[in-house]
Amino acid sequence: MRAAIAAVEADPDISVALVSKVYPMRSHTVSAEGGAAGVAREDDSLEMHGFDTVKGSDFLGDQDVIQYFVEHAPKELTRLEHWGCPWSRNEDGSVATRAFGGMSTKRTWYAADKVGFHMLHSLFQHSLRFDRIVRYDEQFVTKLIVDGGQVRGVTALDIREGVVRCILGRAVVLCTGGAGKIFPFTTNGNIKTGDGMALAYRSGVPLKDMEFVQYHPTGLPGTGILITEATRGEGGHVKNKDGERFLVTRDYGVGKKAELGPRDMISRAIVQEIEAGRGIDSQYGQYALLDLTHLGEEKIDSRLPMVRELCKIYAGVDPVYEPIPIRPVVHYMMGGVDVDIDGKANGVSGLFAAGETACVSLNGANRLGSNSLTECLVFGARSGLSAVNFAKGASAGDDAALAKVGEAEQGRIDALRGKQGGGETLAGIRGDMQKAMESGCGVYREEATMQQTVRDIAELEGRYANLSLEDSSKVFNTEIVAALELENMLDCARAVSNSAASRNESRGAHTRRDATARDDVNFLYHTLCHFDPAGPRLDKKDVTLGRWEPEERKY
Amino acid sequence: MADAHPHAMAPTRPGKTRTAPPQRPPQFPMGGRYLAYTAFGWTGLIYLLLGFLVIEAVWALGDGAAAWQEQLLRYEHPVYIAFHVLALASVVFVGVRFFRLFPKAQPPRIGPAKPPPQSLIHGTLYAVWVGATVVFGAILAGGLF
Amino acid sequence: MAETLVKKFVVTRFDPDKDEAPRTESYEVPCHPDWKVLDALNHIKDEIDGSLAHRWSCRMSVCGSCGMNVNGQPTLTCKKAVSDLPDTVEVTPLANFPVVRDLVVELDGFMEKLKSVKPWIIRAKEKAVEEGPMRQSQAELEEFKQFSMCINCMLCYAACPVVANEPEFLGPAAIALGHRYSVDSRDEGAAERNEIFRGEGTVFACSYANECSEVCPKHVDPAAAVNQAKFNAVIDWAAGLVLPRGGKE
Repeated sequence: MRAAIAAVEADPDISVALVSKVYPMRSHTVSAEGGAAGVAREDDSLEMHGFDTVKGSDFLGDQDVIQYFVEHAPKELTRLEHWGCPWSRNEDGSVATRAFGGMSTKRTWYAADKVGFHMLHSLFQHSLRFDRIVRYDEQFVTKLIVDGGQVRGVTALDIREGVVRCILGRAVVLCTGGAGKIFPFTTNGNIKTGDGMALAYRSGVPLKDMEFVQYHPTGLPGTGILITEATRGEGGHVKNKDGERFLVTRDYGVGKKAELGPRDMISRAIVQEIEAGRGIDSQYGQYALLDLTHLGEEKIDSRLPMVRELCKIYAGVDPVYEPIPIRPVVHYMMGGVDVDIDGKANGVSGLFAAGETACVSLNGANRLGSNSLTECLVFGARSGLSAVNFAKGASAGDDAALAKVGEAEQGRIDALRGKQGGGETLAGIRGDMQKAMESGCGVYREEATMQQTVRDIAELEGRYANLSLEDSSKVFNTEIVAALELENMLDCARAVSNSAASRNESRGAHTRRDATARDDVNFLYHTLCHFDPAGPRLDKKDVTLGRWEPEERKY
Repeated sequence: MADAHPHAMAPTRPGKTRTAPPQRPPQFPMGGRYLAYTAFGWTGLIYLLLGFLVIEAVWALGDGAAAWQEQLLRYEHPVYIAFHVLALASVVFVGVRFFRLFPKAQPPRIGPAKPPPQSLIHGTLYAVWVGATVVFGAILAGGLF
Repeated sequence: MAETLVKKFVVTRFDPDKDEAPRTESYEVPCHPDWKVLDALNHIKDEIDGSLAHRWSCRMSVCGSCGMNVNGQPTLTCKKAVSDLPDTVEVTPLANFPVVRDLVVELDGFMEKLKSVKPWIIRAKEKAVEEGPMRQSQAELEEFKQFSMCINCMLCYAACPVVANEPEFLGPAAIALGHRYSVDSRDEGAAERNEIFRGEGTVFACSYANECSEVCPKHVDPAAAVNQAKFNAVIDWAAGLVLPRGGKE
């Protein structure tokens, strides 16, 4: 939406098709809780934000990208404030900021603990002002139409009508989020199935740094529902079964930052505590504790009201009085479509990507909390502008030839709908994929299980051909949407597992038991994963360094 | 299940697939909390009848002292008494329901002025209501004027 | 080992290409005691009947996709615990909405109403980014904050007896959102919205059922917003009689 707004504001003549498989208010940004980072205080600086981000990325983030990001972050957050976003305020009416993991000072703007919800709704409501943003709601994009190396639009399945249509355009921006649903235990909602990543991948654009999957330290056991980092920002303590604040008492690399260390380190710490036998047993596996009881009811009700509600409804616990059960849970994908700082995809002209779908790379090997919401705004805007500039110079293409692509897609979808006879079920393949991913691409990884996962996912792609479906209806067929999503998820799973197996070091969120050190000599590069019918083809891309040379990452 | 208005929540341009008609809330009109709402609406009938009774009384006043005495006798008839008890109950019901809503219906600010706290609004409404009832009662009973 | 609750789910099914009218189907579902209604529906879809169509996404009561009528009540199915329900659970699509398929309703009518109240910051002169954020006190924020919590789940529309009978009525969520902007200290568009509130979609159609606030899963209290909007609309109209336009607050 940020890209669409940027595009129509930049050029009074163009129109933008906003195509989404769900209504805009349902996008998963809505669930983000903690905050959005941007330098706001006198005691802060762009340089500090930049360094925090570079260090947090374990020096894999591209520093020119990070420079641009920290410069534009405060402007974008201000712009959103002008558009009505109800940021929480200080006494003097200025925007309030809170502390967040890996940030050297308070720079996370917040709106109670529903920042994603407020940002999404403010953006959506602001976008309603523009008649030139034409919405295509509940349209599932099945393919990018690429003609002669240039993108000409998309084919989209109208979920309600069951009809495939071509939506033609001179540029396409992919903002479809990540693919957390390839894992069984994730904060992500049902819709996060890596659709945009798969679309780009199948069109010849490599996926970059896919091995870096962020495990958020504090998710509810069982459901995986996110308990925001802001709980730690406001002073929450993480404890083991003995009530010990192990991030303080033991050495897990977070130093004085303790609970405000970066997410990858805290997730590893919790896993290690559990493996050492200091976790608490439950029907959903072992967990640790997040203790907010010392914060007091008033602070929790004013700064963390949604957390309180979530704990009561989904964990049966009132955080004012009892500690919250938590364990690491898949949350975010640092990797994505290989794009440059303008959001331009590598390999197909006219194609752009922004947000979690893209890998610019802002977040490198590990993302700092509250950077990603700002990323959506900063690079959403930039990609929108880049797309407009490209579109102005681009030719339209041959409509008749493009229509044929649409017809072919209609045929493919019609054949898939209600397909009977094979022995496989959606739930079966999906479950096996998720199990394989958890086994090989968990918080701690090793050679044997990663290779097994690579083999398992390849096998699952074969099994997908024997899928058997039950819903033959044309109207609002959600089963066929789930089948298409599963296909996309398998693509992403292949990229993640293959990329992970190729990186023989531990960096950021990619931690190996059999290669525990970071290896800047051999592995200071971005992993590229190209689609190939014979199996993913891996490649390397240089990291753009800048004023900060890689150093030991200790807090 | 009963149909709602056929165009309830329909978009200006209907979608391209056939839809089933919208259904009314299943418990409407007599189930659950809707019963109180429906009763609230139906009290209008009582006020309509009360209105006719007021006209009847005013007419009698206009027709002279004898007519008025006849009218006063009518009020002692059990049906009249029963009706007025019902009317009192419905007025109290509507009053309480409306007073419960009234504080939250105050906008947060008109210009610089903010509304008083909810308890003060509640208190004032009931005080004025009871006070007015007492005063009018006293007048009608002949204790005042 | 947690005890399984076996419940019978009676679910509305409707395929416009095959069915004349909506019908029901029953499913026996072995429910984990921690399950919400949504988990049971997903179990039906994954293990029993893959043709069931329903909307859902976040499963944490914030995206607003999964609203349906459960045992007659408009409910967020990802929030409602199965253990709070009797042995037979009826799941029907949201009341007051045209039904597209099974448990999926037509939403574009709502989207139109939402847009019609101009839910954005209206200012005579846009502020430049260079000027920094606008100042707003926490107290000013509190004035509209509650009304900004709406997740557009439309349970309020499913509960409102006026929505059932008057297609033009803007409805609780749309009015609450418009009111949220009018009350926001950064907005200058209250007069425009008050005209819309007095127009065809008239806020005055609201007859104090308060059902919208009873069912709202986010405690937005749309009934308060609608009735505050009535108040403002009247004051604005009266002021318009006395003062020339432009002399408003």
